[in-house]
Amino acid sequence: MSSTETLDGAALGLLVRIVALHLDEESAAWLAAVGIAPGEECIVLRRAALGGPLHVRLVSGGEFAVAREIARKLDVTRVST
Amino acid sequence: MSPSTSHAPRAVGEPAGPKATTVALVGRPNCGKSSLFNQITGGSARVGNYPGITVDVLESSVDLPSGVTASFADLPGLYSVESTVARDTDEAVARTFIDRLKEQATREQAKNAAFVVVQVVDPTRLALGLRLTKELARAEVPFLVALTHADVLTAEGRELDVIGLSQRLGVPVVLVSSHDAGAKATVLGAIDDHLRALTASQPSKSFDPVRLAREVVRDLPPTAEVTRRRALTERLDGLLLGPVIGPLLFVAVMALVFAAVFLVADPVTEVIDKLVALAKSAIERRLGDGLLSSFLSDGILSGAGTVLAFMPQIVILAVALELLEASGYLARGAFLVDRTLRLMGLSGRSFLPLLMGHACAIPAISATRVVRDPRERLTTILVLPLMTCSARLPTYGLVLAAFFAGSSAFFRAALFVGLYFASILMALVVSLVLRRTATKGKGLPLVLEMPAYRVPQGGVVARKAYHTARRFLRDVGTTIVVCSAILWGALKVPMPGAHPPEGTAPIEASIAATVGRAIEPLTRPAGFDWRIDVGLIGSFGQRELMVATLGIVYGIESAEDEPAPLAQKLSEAKRPDGSPLYGVRTGLAILVFFMLAAQCMSTIAAIKRETKSWKWAGFVVGYTYALAYCAAVLVYQLGALFGLP
Repeated sequence: MSSTETLDGAALGLLVRIVALHLDEESAAWLAAVGIAPGEECIVLRRAALGGPLHVRLVSGGEFAVAREIARKLDVTRVST
Repeated sequence: MSPSTSHAPRAVGEPAGPKATTVALVGRPNCGKSSLFNQITGGSARVGNYPGITVDVLESSVDLPSGVTASFADLPGLYSVESTVARDTDEAVARTFIDRLKEQATREQAKNAAFVVVQVVDPTRLALGLRLTKELARAEVPFLVALTHADVLTAEGRELDVIGLSQRLGVPVVLVSSHDAGAKATVLGAIDDHLRALTASQPSKSFDPVRLAREVVRDLPPTAEVTRRRALTERLDGLLLGPVIGPLLFVAVMALVFAAVFLVADPVTEVIDKLVALAKSAIERRLGDGLLSSFLSDGILSGAGTVLAFMPQIVILAVALELLEASGYLARGAFLVDRTLRLMGLSGRSFLPLLMGHACAIPAISATRVVRDPRERLTTILVLPLMTCSARLPTYGLVLAAFFAGSSAFFRAALFVGLYFASILMALVVSLVLRRTATKGKGLPLVLEMPAYRVPQGGVVARKAYHTARRFLRDVGTTIVVCSAILWGALKVPMPGAHPPEGTAPIEASIAATVGRAIEPLTRPAGFDWRIDVGLIGSFGQRELMVATLGIVYGIESAEDEPAPLAQKLSEAKRPDGSPLYGVRTGLAILVFFMLAAQCMSTIAAIKRETKSWKWAGFVVGYTYALAYCAAVLVYQLGALFGLP
């Protein structure tokens, strides 16, 4: 099992799995409804300049702009391919 | 298909005949719901009138194959029917609508009312759509699933097992393409069968959306077209979201929208102005130049002319917004500017409305609907009147000509640019203060779905533009005409008991002049006298009227067309002791006042419309006027300390 890091720190193009959301219950529920939930596998495609959002692609379909402060609260682990 | 014409308020799902059937289309934003609705209804939708539903819900009556007429409602996009969302968001509205349908059906015990929810799902993002499917099943809402974008799924080199998905979900599933002529018949047939209980429906509540999506969607061996399509999307994103080119292209696109609102709308507005002028001449010829003629011409027709003059801008902006949204570019733009706007306590979604505010606040206030977070949207609406709109320019020009004629052209240009930057800076400060006071609270986490690039559908774009224009005429237009009539009264009707000195302009006996004299002690610290106060009262409805009103006070005809004589009069005006009545300080104070005060009844009416409350409209008037007054006094008094005349 690879070590845990935050989505914010994940390398570009690397496949990672979301393992935990350090958010309040309401925000976590909303994020899960939108599609970002523990168990989802995703790839960080790019980062906006000056600390802007991340462009993330979910393996199950869909792409999202995720604010850095949210990304810092998502724990991910690398998925070996 | 027979579009209903009833507009009377009624409860959701209230029987319109012997048995009312309601079909509600729900789905995530950008799932293809509006395109499907447009295809089913043939574009004959109207805005439904439902008490307590605060955003527009389009509806249309459509005949099902069995002959039953069903009312179709296109609900705002939603992600979830379970997670907590703020009131007044599109999501909450959609949820309220569904809840009421459920209540109605329970109360009527399904005798007089029937309803079904059609969940529209983008099959290229099936796992995301199935999350909502699971929630609908748990909520025990009668529903079926319509998968759109069958053509896109094929183009992306995938196929979907529709029968397998239907069996696993326990509800009917159809797969259609919005470009397919048979899509309407397929969806209507499925709805009809479901309503007549011809199809079994026992929704499963226990499936895993991601796993199920993997099981029913199969990747086909990639064709050349599929490879080309994937590469195109990658290249487009690489270009449009690039760290250098991306922001530059974004500014260019926004400038294009900005220019379109200005340049394309202007000629149309000129034609409207000419038609209104012709109508005014006709009224004067028929009724002479009495009070009735003036009321109809300057009070009513001027107000109606203002409403119509805004229409081209409103329509162009609605079209531009829909094109940006439907093409998938708006979310990319939000991605690019999000960080910058967070300095203001806002997010990337607010950029477009704030930019549009520099052309005109009215369409910009409508454009705030792209902001999903209600607090952020309210903050954007509240600071929009601070943007330097085009209506401020005539007054800036007059003041610069009257009070800064002796200054260099460079100084006047710098002052002009400074006003733009000062307004943006003030919006930044006000936004930060509001986010910590009046609009404070937890916002929605900033997570924006980046939809796939798509070619917008002309019919859907035209329908949105039509409904936006109609809504503006109905809600904002009536307020503008009423305010225009009231202002006419203040400027033209003599104050009872007032007897102006012989030879003075009739406006000196008006209600506005009386009020102007009464408030002069209050505005004197800012360097204003009663004449400027009358100008400010006249410009409460429209900033542009400052020049025309001051022209009337100083007895100059058509000052709005040729302001030079008025500028000369203002610069030469003297006090009884012979000293100049106004100085550079007065000019600066007027500029600052105009920069900050929300002198535009159309903007106020638009704020009332969008916030559904006079409270916020009044708040904007209150805070901008208070800010404008304090800033004008500060500038005038500081000017004295620096020895300015």
